[in-house]
This record gives sequence, structure tokens and C-alpha cells, in this order.
Amino acid sequence: MARVNLVEVRDVARRFRTPAGDVHALADVSFDVREGEFVSIVGPSGCGKSTLVMLIAGLLMPTAGRVVVAGAAVDRPQTRLGIVFQSPVLLAWRTALDNVLLQCEMRGRVSEAQRGRARDLLARVGLGGFEGRYPHELSGGMRQRVSLCRALIHDPPLLLMDEPFGALDALTRDQLTLDLERLRARAGTTVVFITHSITEAVFLSDRVLVMTPRPGRIDEIVEVDLPRPRRLAMREDPRFATYCRRINDRFMAHGVLKEGT
Amino acid sequence: MRARLAPALTLLAVVVAWELLVDGFRVPEYLLPAPSGIAHALALEWRMLAFHTWVTLYEILSGFALSIAVGVPLAMLIVASPPFERSVYPLLVASQSVPKIAIAPLLIFWAGIGIFPKVLVAFAIAFFPIVIDTVAGLRAVEPEMLHLARSMGAGNAKIFRKIRFPSALPHIFAGVKVAVTLAVVGAVVGEFIQADQGLGYVLQQATAVLNTRLGFAAIFILALIGIALFVAVELLEHWLTPWSAARRSELAAATP
Repeated sequence: MARVNLVEVRDVARRFRTPAGDVHALADVSFDVREGEFVSIVGPSGCGKSTLVMLIAGLLMPTAGRVVVAGAAVDRPQTRLGIVFQSPVLLAWRTALDNVLLQCEMRGRVSEAQRGRARDLLARVGLGGFEGRYPHELSGGMRQRVSLCRALIHDPPLLLMDEPFGALDALTRDQLTLDLERLRARAGTTVVFITHSITEAVFLSDRVLVMTPRPGRIDEIVEVDLPRPRRLAMREDPRFATYCRRINDRFMAHGVLKEGT
Repeated sequence: MRARLAPALTLLAVVVAWELLVDGFRVPEYLLPAPSGIAHALALEWRMLAFHTWVTLYEILSGFALSIAVGVPLAMLIVASPPFERSVYPLLVASQSVPKIAIAPLLIFWAGIGIFPKVLVAFAIAFFPIVIDTVAGLRAVEPEMLHLARSMGAGNAKIFRKIRFPSALPHIFAGVKVAVTLAVVGAVVGEFIQADQGLGYVLQQATAVLNTRLGFAAIFILALIGIALFVAVELLEHWLTPWSAARRSELAAATP
């Protein structure tokens, strides 16, 4: 199946000026993300993963190279996408529903249809009945679900997620992973997912890009050929273990992971 | 309820002890009048005091309103424009090392007599905390939230209205609470320097002729004004930023 590239990253480098000198966050990164594909980017802390998300979103410009989204060069903040960060970044004075609807409000007037869609989305991630609650009345996992709904309410073709489940406990994490798999399968959204959890990346992705330590480069691309929808039991599949080991081996090779001697 | 009862009981105990001590040691009235004596002065002179209270309250509220009307927009400008910030903000901060009380006589000298110079002194003292806290509040927005807003296609005006300003409100209120008490100080200092009306004037005239009772009566009213204004600002804060109060009480509950 020949699918169109939704995201093209070409020879991208990014340098940051700091008082301690220049930091090369990314060096010579190229990859594509096809329409409808789920691509994870795994790598050690500080390898420029988050910078990649900012570059694709047009919130940061590359020092060299170019980023193309939906056929157009990215030279300004992109609006046909949804973003989920590690922290839920909800507005404390807005209810769960109104936080989701912020997405629509910033783009224009909120319609009744959007209101209904927001309720529906919240219900589908298990927040039915919590629409009127304020962020301080919700648990960490619930807040992150509101954040996910806010990123999907306008039905974007592209979803960028920067370690979205990094601050959650293991059980909540599993549940949110399943919620994401379900919501995404329904809408066919293309996802770029940043994580440092190898199992999370393999579980969710069609392809996993493994990055080197800073300056970040693409070290290896692992195609994950497991049937969808993914189920938790697949984590016991021998193929699953093989994929994880391959990624692990790359981390070992770069000294990101070390075993005692 | 218990939280309010405790300070009330303490106050009552202090007043009773004060009364008994003044009575027991026969402290002369011109040095320290008993609470009952102050109450007597209040009852006797209430018409005159009401007039001067009105004057001082007017000065306080005008100075306070002016400090908000100038302080908040100035803070917005500082946050919005880096060149403006670089050229003005450091000077503004440095200017705070000049004691405002010390320049109050000059302000009065320049602005002449009447109510306006006192308003000016109240404003000069009250406005600084509002600027500082509003700047801090407008800057306190999480950078991710601003990234999200940009990805939603929102312009600066909308981001300010929907995100920056509301999230700055708790900070602004912190500054406003300090400012309202400082405005009381400013108005009274202004009246001390030159006035023919107002509670500061009453206080000065009364102590000059050793009418300490009346002096204390004026101080009592000034304290009431300070407390009432502070409580009014707090009520407004609870009404406008209930989420912030909820978060604070949550924190308070977490640390027994």
C-alpha cells in the first residue's frame, strides 16, 4: 500500500545557544511519517526528541534542513495538528469540558456540534460525568485524558505527543495507551509519539525510530509488524520481545544502557 | 469558624487586660487612654470623625484605584515589549530604593493643597507591588500552554484574554492586597505633611493638645478602614478566582 508522506524531515539540525556555549540538540536527522502511520521516537534524555516535536509543529525553526507537513514547508506554527505534552497543561479556571473546547474557542466560535463532540470524546476515555469538574478535582491520569481530548476535538490529521504518559503510574499508563490505540484507530490519525519507554513504543507503533545520544541522530528504524488493534497480551508475544531487544541492543551499543560487569 | 474565633478571643483578652492595667496602675489619660475612654471619644465626636473618615477614605480609594489603573497596564506593557522592559523596568525597580515617605513632602509641595496631593502619595506608595506582581503573573504561564495556543492558531490578543490575564489574576490579587494597605499609609502620611481635614489631620491635632483619646479614636477608625478594605479585596479575589482559593486550601489540607 503506497501511502503519501504526511511529515517529511530532511537533513534537519538544530543548535541552541546557551551561556555555556552552543548545544547541538539534533544533527542531520531525516525521516518520513506516512499518512495514518504511528511512529514512535525513542532515545535517551537530552537527545533532542522534544526538539523534533517542536520543529514539526513549527514552534521552533531548524538551524539547517527542512520540515514539510502535508506538502507545505513548515515556516510558522502549524494549526492542523493536536499536541499532547508530558504535563497536561490545563487551565485551572476551566472545567474539563471547557478545557477541551479551548481548542475550538481559540479557532473561532464554539458550535453546539463541537460541544457534543467534546462530551462524546470525554465519555470515550472514561470521563463521562466528569465534564463539569475542574482540573484540581481530577487525578493526574484524568487530566492527561482531558489533554488528549483537547488535542483530538478538531479532528486533526496529525497528533504530536511528547512523552504524554511519562508522569503517570504504570496502571494508568496502560489504560491510556489502550485509550489512545482505540481513539486513533477510529479516526485514522497520524501520530508522532515521543517516549523513552521501549515497550510503550513497540506496543503502539508501526515504526520505531531509535535515536542516539546528543547530538541526536536516527540510529535505526524498527518496523513493528504486529496485528492491530494491539492488545495488552501482545506484550508476551515472542515477536514483541524481539523488537524490544533490538532497540535495547542499540541503546547498549551507544552506552545509553550499561550492564554491570 | 474556629479560625475566626481564636483571633477574636485574643483581641478581647487584650482589650480587657488594657482596660484593667490602665485602671489598676492609674495611667494618666493623656499617656494612654483606656479602651472605654476611646469608645467614649468615638461616641462623643462621631459626627466630626465621620466627616474626616470620609475625606481619608476618599483619598485612599482614589489612590488605590489610580495605582491599579496605572500599575496593571504598565505591567502589561513591560511584558509585551522587551525594549520597553529593558529601558524602564530596571529603573522602576531601582526607584523603589528611594523611600517614598521621604519624597512625600515634595509631592505635596508640588501638587499643592487639597485632596489630590494625598491621592498622589497613596498612589506612589501603592502602585509598585501591583506592577511587580502583575509582571510576575503574566510571566508565570507555562511555556507549553503558549505553544498549544499557537498551535490552535490564536493571536496575541486572544492568548492574552483567554490565557495570560486569567492565569495572572492570583498574582495580581497578591499585589493588590499589599497595595490596599499601603494606600492607607500613603493617605495618612500625606495628611501628616499638610492638611486641614482627614483622619491624619485629626490625629495630629489631637496629639498636639494631648487629647490622646481622640487620637486613639482616629487610629481605631484607620485600622477598621484597613481591615475592611483588605477583606473586601479578599472577597473579590474569592469571587473572581475561586480556582486559586481551592488550590490553596488543597495545599493547606495536605500540610497538617
